[in-house]
Amino acid sequence: MLSRKAIAGLIGAVLIAAVVAACGSSEEKGSSTTPKGEGLTESGGFKTPATESLTSGKKGGKLVVLQETEFEHLDPGISYYNLDYPVVFATQRPLYSYKPNEEAESTPDLAAGPPEISSDNKTVTVKLKEGIKFSPPVNREVTSEDVKYAFERGKNPNVANPYEEAYFAAVEGMPAAKGGPIKGIETPNKHTIVFHLTEPKGQIVADALVLPLSAPVPKEYAAKYDKNSPSNYASYEVATGPYMIKNNSEGKVLGVGYFPGKSLTLVRNPNWVASSDYRPAYLNEINYKIGGTVTVGEKEALQGTNIIDQERPPQTIVQEAAEHYKEQLQISPGAGDHYIAVNNKVGPFKNADLRRALWAALDREEMDKVRGGKLVTTVQTHFLYPGIGGFEQAGGLKGPAGIPYNENPQGNMALAEKYMKEGGYPTGKYSGETITVVGARGAPASEDAEIVNSTLQKLGFQTKLSLPESSIAYSKYCNVPKEEITVCPSVGWIADFDDPQTVLNVTFNGKFIPPVGNVNWSQANNPKTNEMMDKAESIQGKSARASAWAKIDEELVKEANAIPFDWDKQANVEGTQVLGVGQLWNSGEWDLSFTSLK
Amino acid sequence: MTISGIEPAPAGLADVEPLGPGEVVHALAPRQLFWRRFRKDKVAMVSGIIILVEIAIAFLAPVIVKVLGLPGPQVQNPNLTNAFGSPLGPSFSHPFGVDQLGRDVLTRTIYGARVSLTVGIVGTLVATLIGVTVGMLAGYYKGSVDTFFSRVIDVVLSIPPLLLALGIAASCSVKACAGGTIQPGVQTVIFLIALITWPYQARIVRGLVLSLREREFIEASHAFGASNSRIMFREILPNIAAPVIVYATLQIPLNILIEAALSFLGIGIRPPTISWGQMIASATPIFNTAWWYMVFPGVALLITVLAFNLLGDGLRDALNPRYAR
Amino acid sequence: MTAYVIRRVLWGILMLVVVCLTTFIIFRVLPTVNPAVLRAGRNPTPQSLKAIEHSLRLDRSLPTQFYDYLREILLHFNFGYSYGSNESVTQLIKERLPATISLTVGAAVLWIVFGIGIGVVSALRRHSYTDRGAMGGALLLVSAPEFWLGLVLLFLFSSSIGKFKILPGAGTYVGLTSDPWKWFTSLLMPWFVLAAGSAAVFARLIRGNLLEVMDEDYIRTARAKGLPEKRVVRQGVRASINPVVTLMGLEFGVLLGGAVLVETVFNIPGVGRLAYESISSSDYEVIEGTVLLAAMFIIVANIVVDIVYAFIDPRVRYA
Repeated sequence: MLSRKAIAGLIGAVLIAAVVAACGSSEEKGSSTTPKGEGLTESGGFKTPATESLTSGKKGGKLVVLQETEFEHLDPGISYYNLDYPVVFATQRPLYSYKPNEEAESTPDLAAGPPEISSDNKTVTVKLKEGIKFSPPVNREVTSEDVKYAFERGKNPNVANPYEEAYFAAVEGMPAAKGGPIKGIETPNKHTIVFHLTEPKGQIVADALVLPLSAPVPKEYAAKYDKNSPSNYASYEVATGPYMIKNNSEGKVLGVGYFPGKSLTLVRNPNWVASSDYRPAYLNEINYKIGGTVTVGEKEALQGTNIIDQERPPQTIVQEAAEHYKEQLQISPGAGDHYIAVNNKVGPFKNADLRRALWAALDREEMDKVRGGKLVTTVQTHFLYPGIGGFEQAGGLKGPAGIPYNENPQGNMALAEKYMKEGGYPTGKYSGETITVVGARGAPASEDAEIVNSTLQKLGFQTKLSLPESSIAYSKYCNVPKEEITVCPSVGWIADFDDPQTVLNVTFNGKFIPPVGNVNWSQANNPKTNEMMDKAESIQGKSARASAWAKIDEELVKEANAIPFDWDKQANVEGTQVLGVGQLWNSGEWDLSFTSLK
Repeated sequence: MTISGIEPAPAGLADVEPLGPGEVVHALAPRQLFWRRFRKDKVAMVSGIIILVEIAIAFLAPVIVKVLGLPGPQVQNPNLTNAFGSPLGPSFSHPFGVDQLGRDVLTRTIYGARVSLTVGIVGTLVATLIGVTVGMLAGYYKGSVDTFFSRVIDVVLSIPPLLLALGIAASCSVKACAGGTIQPGVQTVIFLIALITWPYQARIVRGLVLSLREREFIEASHAFGASNSRIMFREILPNIAAPVIVYATLQIPLNILIEAALSFLGIGIRPPTISWGQMIASATPIFNTAWWYMVFPGVALLITVLAFNLLGDGLRDALNPRYAR
Repeated sequence: MTAYVIRRVLWGILMLVVVCLTTFIIFRVLPTVNPAVLRAGRNPTPQSLKAIEHSLRLDRSLPTQFYDYLREILLHFNFGYSYGSNESVTQLIKERLPATISLTVGAAVLWIVFGIGIGVVSALRRHSYTDRGAMGGALLLVSAPEFWLGLVLLFLFSSSIGKFKILPGAGTYVGLTSDPWKWFTSLLMPWFVLAAGSAAVFARLIRGNLLEVMDEDYIRTARAKGLPEKRVVRQGVRASINPVVTLMGLEFGVLLGGAVLVETVFNIPGVGRLAYESISSSDYEVIEGTVLLAAMFIIVANIVVDIVYAFIDPRVRYA
């Protein structure tokens, strides 16, 4: 085949063309690159949910929402994932919920007014609004029975709500319930629901009523779906909020308004009455497009008109948006945190000095940089995060005083070796069996995992790093104590509602280490902090709670039960014609019930 | 699907024609003749040299990186990303730019050659070994042995190769498979490649053996009372060696591409082991600006695969001049 | 002929069962992960795990599980349910099928037209610059990884992130019926990427075949007898394409595999991306279903090809 002789020239030509095209672009980008550390301050003059107007929207229009990750659960009884929440809160009305620009005070939603907590702190009574109806095909008025059923089905193994145990265990009969009636929940009349508690934990129970579990579910309609294992009520779910997932006359949403991995359509709920709700619900229709590459989606949103993206943009997009599309970028502060979980129960990190050594050695700035740098992250110094009660008492941005290993965010190897020596390794390097590190695939988790891995190696650890898909990494490894994973390099947490207990209790209290689904990833089981937390659960009043939990926070830092590195901020991008409203109380996604078109 | 008598060439190898009985004669031509022809083929020679250079690079990666004054493959440097965490592009000290962790892309591209070549070559060797054994047995014994193996081959070939690989990789990527015999990573990928490609080799060998065993010199050996294994190893094997090597050479680039595809989809090679496909995968989230991270590993892949293809073509032409036109 | 067809079909059915067994082993026996854990999602509780194990029949013996699995497939064409969305696998695949058909059929047309066209032209203009350029380009395309080629094209030409914003990029696919023009333009790059490799393989193959055929005695005789060159070439082309037909079935399998990569890179909501997504989320029932369906498709395609081939070349039937 003589023809092959022509190939060398051909390859050359193609390569040159590609390189020329590519170089052109690099010059264009290179000139506008911001030098390191310049021009980036806390929220950098960007839009933030705290300053946005909630009432100046225009009614009408269709919005396209891009989301590259599939929903996990849209069933209000199961949903516990930040990307599910925008849909859940646009379609469901829990007893209480947050306005987008509020993170401390919730607003009565299905409830008619604030919860009444008895003086002994053992009874919580909530009155429901009248005249709120379920969407078609149920069409009837919501009663307290529907809220009661929502709580009951949460304990049904086919539904298995992931947080009911953590916040509502004090409700009488709750721990043993399997889906049937719960003794401590009473409905004296159609619009009143009463929670009777066995312990004085009224405050936390009342606060937790902002979670989607408290959204009503019609028993006569849902029970047949809840019999399936797992329940497929989500495929037929009805709404109480301003929007509903498009459905057919039987109520089926799966294959009608929701095509897994492809699209989800939200339309107006015809039975929703605007006067009963604080949500303006400007948009007429919301079309989710699911799947694809985040980079491409974010770029489409920046270049488009009536389009938004719900995902965290990668660093190159944040940079481009900050430099060229400043008006279309919003930064929401206080969107949770990320830390390294180190196994406190088995392996080398039983030893607190080794945990301190890792903390001292870690370059937290580098960890944050792969997440997008200072615009969207803050170096974390303790566990409570900005905006949560107790944050200031625990030391604010600088963190608790007098913790040497917390002082250098770029890492300090000399100090780290000092702790290694104190921990019983006279050379300053670890010597012992190989440890397992389970990160998650995909940016930025995999990058963080590689930084942690190389930091561990610098300390002398032999590591076995694996990076499965994030859902596997958690459900199979990091959430399963029996697997004895030594390090999970970037576990993330976001408060369920504004209370320091929601940040620290299930994640560090030794009493919450279930065999599966464990989120006390470090398996911290420190008698002193356990006791402090058990006491603090029953404390009344915001400021008292804040200072009690701040002390626990300090104690966790001293014990280095986990190694924190990033207080997240959420960057959101929107098209030119969108008046996006992000929220403060959760991880900062666009709130679909407040976003409008210009 | 097999149609007895007419062997379709395997997909991907499609341009390698099954050799007819007459053509085997060329394969038997003296080695010098083959060499003389091959040496004249400049493109193939250059490709062969490129491959040798690549193998040398893979072996000497640490030395080369040191000589070029580049940082090691796992050296992270946060100063090489900007304030947003976007990596910086090509510069004098980092000719191929850096990745999100500030690691040198040239260094990593050099190290990536190790995995691609290992997987491509070892995977092909394993597949060839299985393919030759099965093909030999089926072609030599014919009858029920042949039927059995042919049917097994049919089944494997009826599942789309990439989907089969994806399926098994997905099953094995979390923890080791089959009681720990298949570990995730390079081992899994080699296993997968062998699994999905051996039938092609087996079919070709079977065809060759079928036609060879009817020829006089084999019959003569039988007549002299040579054992079956002696005939297979001493008489048949040398005669099919040349075409088998050619097919194997042409299979290597395909296997390199399979590894790249699996790693790109996240179920092949995983960090901290470096592979070109996996580099391209981690470049995808930032490829709107950081083109260098996507382009250079891809070009390395392209050159390697192309070189193997050209070398394979050249070997085939030298072996079978009737085909070279 | 009838006997041959019956034999082929019966063998095809047996193979389907064997393929079912293979996928069952791959997805139920090989993995060391409990599927119930995967199904339970990010925050499972011990109770939900137990319930799921029971409902997935994981507490039964493997042969029973296989029997159930096979029965569901054969009697109800039921491939199980997605762990994530509870949607039936058949339904999921049905929704994704139009996009994959659009992609693969379009690519197959490109592949066959360009493969044969370029192969014939190259052979007839042997050693010309056209021939060298075409064959060089073909080799380059065979050597380029599909996913990378796709990314490079997106980087260069897509309207969202491209340097020359001339074609709709990733995620712009719409159904044929909703907007034919947008459907067409959004598929241009994916078609090219998917077809490139196969077309190149075919072009090289046909060029080789045609060169060989044109040297055959009967063609020389035809020429010598003064048959018009056009008819001589037509004869030759027909003869050189025949052996290629059998390869199409196999090549279609390669195309389906390629669809996984191309749909992922271009974000086309097809079966390939479904397979990839379900692999990412370890949604085994869905992967199993897609693999099985693809295998069925290939088996059927091969039967069709074999029968067609038997018509073209009667020798086959008696072999």
